[in-house]
Amino acid sequence: MTDINAKNLDEVGAAIRTAMADKTSLDVIGTGSKRHLGCETNADAALNTSAMSGIIDYQPEELVMTVRAATPMREIESVLNAANQMLPFEPPDMGHILGQHSTGTGGSIGGIIATNLSGPRRLTAGAARDYLLGFEAISGRGERFKSGGKVMKNVTGYDLSKLMCGSFGTLAVMDEITLKTLPAAETNISLLLHADSFNAAVKLIAEVFATPHEPGSAAILPQAIAAEANLCSAKAGAGSAFTAVIRLEGIAPSVDDRLANLKALFGGEMLAKPASDTLWRQIRDVQPLAELPQDIWKLSVAPADAPKIIAAMDSISDVSYFADWAGGLLWLSSPKSEQLGLTLRQALSGLHGGFAMLVRDVGATRRQIAPFQPLPPGMFDLHKRVKAAFDPLGVLNFGRMHASI
Amino acid sequence: MLMPDPDQQVIDRSDEICAALRDLVPGNCVIDSPESMRAFDADGLSAYRQLPLVVVLPETVDEIAAVMKYCHQQGIKLVPRGAGTSLSGGALPLSDAVLLGLGKFNRILEIDYENRCVVAQPGVTNLAITDAVQHDGFYYAPDPSSQIACSVGGNVAENSGGVHCLKYGLTTNNLLGIEIVTIEGEVLRFGGKHLDAGDYDLMGIMTGSEGLLGVVSEVTLRILQKPATARALLVGFDNTDDAGQAVGDVIAAGIIPAGMEMMDGLAISAAEDFANAGYPRDAAALLIIELDGPEVEVNTLIARVQAIVQSAGATSIRISQSEEERNLFWAGRKSAFPAVGRISPDYLCMDGTIPRRKLPDMMRRMASLSQKYGLRVANVFHAGDGNLHPLILFDANAPGQLHRAEEFGADILRSCVEMGGVLTGEHGVGVEKRDLMTIQFTEEDLKQQQRLKCAFDPDHLLNPGKVFPHLHRCAELGRLHVHKGKLPHPDLPRF
Repeated sequence: MTDINAKNLDEVGAAIRTAMADKTSLDVIGTGSKRHLGCETNADAALNTSAMSGIIDYQPEELVMTVRAATPMREIESVLNAANQMLPFEPPDMGHILGQHSTGTGGSIGGIIATNLSGPRRLTAGAARDYLLGFEAISGRGERFKSGGKVMKNVTGYDLSKLMCGSFGTLAVMDEITLKTLPAAETNISLLLHADSFNAAVKLIAEVFATPHEPGSAAILPQAIAAEANLCSAKAGAGSAFTAVIRLEGIAPSVDDRLANLKALFGGEMLAKPASDTLWRQIRDVQPLAELPQDIWKLSVAPADAPKIIAAMDSISDVSYFADWAGGLLWLSSPKSEQLGLTLRQALSGLHGGFAMLVRDVGATRRQIAPFQPLPPGMFDLHKRVKAAFDPLGVLNFGRMHASI
Repeated sequence: MLMPDPDQQVIDRSDEICAALRDLVPGNCVIDSPESMRAFDADGLSAYRQLPLVVVLPETVDEIAAVMKYCHQQGIKLVPRGAGTSLSGGALPLSDAVLLGLGKFNRILEIDYENRCVVAQPGVTNLAITDAVQHDGFYYAPDPSSQIACSVGGNVAENSGGVHCLKYGLTTNNLLGIEIVTIEGEVLRFGGKHLDAGDYDLMGIMTGSEGLLGVVSEVTLRILQKPATARALLVGFDNTDDAGQAVGDVIAAGIIPAGMEMMDGLAISAAEDFANAGYPRDAAALLIIELDGPEVEVNTLIARVQAIVQSAGATSIRISQSEEERNLFWAGRKSAFPAVGRISPDYLCMDGTIPRRKLPDMMRRMASLSQKYGLRVANVFHAGDGNLHPLILFDANAPGQLHRAEEFGADILRSCVEMGGVLTGEHGVGVEKRDLMTIQFTEEDLKQQQRLKCAFDPDHLLNPGKVFPHLHRCAELGRLHVHKGKLPHPDLPRF
């Protein structure tokens, strides 16, 4: 496959128009950290945008940052840190499970937006899609357009930012991405609660969220993973089947007060910084499953339905998993990946929505089972029409998400 | 305001169309007498009025689908309407279009505390969601000022905001799932009770699409635990620059208040006359800064904010000592619109957003425009997120004043875009700002948006004449000009 390098949107436009004329297709690559996410594409060439990098404008007091699409996450994070701000959706570094490509860069912001990846704080603060305020792009038609703006509150025209998030580069090539930032939490602390079953852990977390003590994130770690993370202290938690981890963030007096209130209601042990930071970074980056030499699946479901998914896993031996988002996000891994995927989708089909995606494919599982959950017919047709509205000839990442999209 | 040419052939068929609709929905759900349709001839932008062809008020999703399918097959335009509180004319009827009212969809379908969400029909009011869950300590965060009347389906169509957006987001950030009916009459579900999915974010696109892409037939809304405490500061300044500085300083200190509102001198005195909230009449600018959360957090942050506004030059500071006092602080702000209505026969409410640091520039610009047009302007802002609500005072009975007020408003919105902002922060484009869209967007920007419209509604039957100043046929929008590897006229600058 040849590489076409583009330094700016004009060059992106030229490359796309050439591809349109030649009836060829392009893989769009930033830092390449998520190149193996999704379906194989059989593209004729790779459009490398890694030169489209750098922070264009950052106004901490405006809570707004404009960056070029291939800007490394590390660079963005270090600039934000210096201003005591953050991207609230807690973008993960997928390098631990997707391979070495991203080591050192954390991937690009364009990649994070294109895949709409968010971390543990997504539960209460929203996803990547909630923080993209606007962008400039070249459509698959080779034409330049913009959407959104550089202000926080904007309902002018269709909110194409939402559509771009999670479109896996199938609609347009972005640059000049404007994000909403927020002040970073002054501190955080975690509360470890113990439960005998996954179901009990989900219910416990629901009770915590029915208090006014503002839990921010909530994960569920089975014993083996909790032990690996050294969470099983000598106290009550040792050996308990599941640990529910609740993160509290904010100013110190608030965090201390909320922790005391929750401990009075639910008991448990606290995990302070820096151990709390480390644990949540591991959860964010799916590190508990990273060392297993096998595929990893991601499943999104209503939190209260998660125990049904876990119960359905009984039929498969050797499934490793943990949950984030109060149970609504499951990361699962098994040597029998295809069977795992089929079982997950089967279990979901009886529930009220949700999706299962193959995230890490160490072999060729994606040739056997679609990495993205197949769409129902009406949705598939609409997806095809939306794709055609931006990329009628199928130039950009064609087939990356779904066949013919 | 020029609307699309009415299709006389459709108007001539109105009896036949009403009869066909009565076969699809119960007879009393079709309203076609001019007297009865009068109640539907405008929304919150009451300067524009138009009787629809017919009003249909279906009672089930199947009926919505049947009506839409019929309109699609017959090539009849359709205007969706929730509670009719849009401030931008989003639900303005067309003389050759069926007005599809969702008013009968007023049931909450499910309260699900385990998944922290409420499933509701689209005609349920915004406030009714909170009312249904508040006894268990929960609430629905977006709180547009019309929340007692506006519907949640309309909130989705307009991506409604409110005074607490800075901390809690707009509708789009508090929505988990929707069910929609397409113009073909197909029922589709986007999202659900889960968070993210692996498909295009069509729920995100529907939110704020102003009824141009589909009709929302069910919503799943995220509910939150009500904060343990809320307290507010009422801070006066003797000039708007200092007040603007204080807003920036609070955020720079890492504090995101639940609400941060600003009023200028004219708005302060109008509100004080109306509500007796104890506002400092001599102040040129007033901030209401509300903090919510655990008591210890609120008290700590109140002290920090107090220090910040003091060093920014505050001339008066009051801190609420009780819920009554906090509500009193808000009473003036929340009555600002009717209060201004008392000092002027008519007013236009504008809704642009600017980068917050441009606030002083914007205030000066408005003062000079006020002189130019000879009309007064009162200002209330969602200062935390830079969303302006200038109220232009005029008298519709005085010849030429409405036109002057509209020109004044257009100049304000032009200034917003010029200063790096946008035409509308929360009221929507509708018909009101439709013809200003070319100020913010290039022709290609707008064409790309309309191509998306074509994916949902290729015949432009849904809410035509809103949002887009020029309607392009979908075939024309979809045309590609690729020839022998070159676009025609490659030397022409395209960007």
